[in-house]
Amino acid sequence: MNLLIEGLAGGFRSIVNIAVICVPIMVALQLAKDYRLMERGDRVFSPVTRWMGLSRESTLPLLVGIFFGLSYGGGALVHASREGELSKRDMTLVVLFLVACHAIFEDTLVFVAVGANGWLLFSVRIVFALVMTRILSRRLAGLNLTGQE
Amino acid sequence: MEKLALSLKKGLRAGVETTWMLVKITLPVYLAVFFLGHTPVLGRLAEFLEPAMRVFRLPGEAALVLVIGNALGLFAAIGAMKAVSLTGSQVTTLALMLSFSHNLFVETAVVSKMGLGTGRILTVRLLLMVVSGLGCAALLG
Repeated sequence: MNLLIEGLAGGFRSIVNIAVICVPIMVALQLAKDYRLMERGDRVFSPVTRWMGLSRESTLPLLVGIFFGLSYGGGALVHASREGELSKRDMTLVVLFLVACHAIFEDTLVFVAVGANGWLLFSVRIVFALVMTRILSRRLAGLNLTGQE
Repeated sequence: MEKLALSLKKGLRAGVETTWMLVKITLPVYLAVFFLGHTPVLGRLAEFLEPAMRVFRLPGEAALVLVIGNALGLFAAIGAMKAVSLTGSQVTTLALMLSFSHNLFVETAVVSKMGLGTGRILTVRLLLMVVSGLGCAALLG
């Protein structure tokens, strides 16, 4: 019985945590979109997204995932695809990148706290994700990665 | 001003919708994983994997850290890590492996409907974990 209560309490806490992070992110994304802030940031990130074979519309969900975590990046992805801004191919590739590399600061610092080499974790994760996404984006045209259609 | 209000309203609605979507997916998985953590299943799996830790130049007890991290998440793994005596390079090897692959039940549930299927997500993550672990162990010794 105690276990059940503990589990439900943890579940409730995780709902609150999601809302506290997710709502501000989505508001910020909407503001960035409506006030065309991304067009400025784009100059910095577009060479990187283009190198991976991604459209510029992928940049925002990608950044949300890298900074805040897989769930929030995924949430931003679903929202963008519902608004018709993102192709299925882009979505697949962004998910692939984020699966390897997300919440980069949080995850790295958590391990630095117990004595791991943070720079190594940080750079290996980013480089692996970049290279993997580029390789698969080039093969995706011929390869049916989604297992559908 | 009207533009700002409209922007905020749209953003708030998107935030609530996205939160609800994430909660619907993660809550059942979270609860299932929570109860799984209180069964002997993870301990058994770790025992089974102990001999394999040698290829990563890790002590056998590290298997439990990897199993806990992959099933429950990073914070639980770090708790388990403190109970194992590890060298500096071993900590980095374990951390790199876990940073590629962790909290698999919840995270896979969230993204499995977004292009890559469950099988492919798990393959990519576990493969990255093994490859990075081997590389790190070889490099750091």
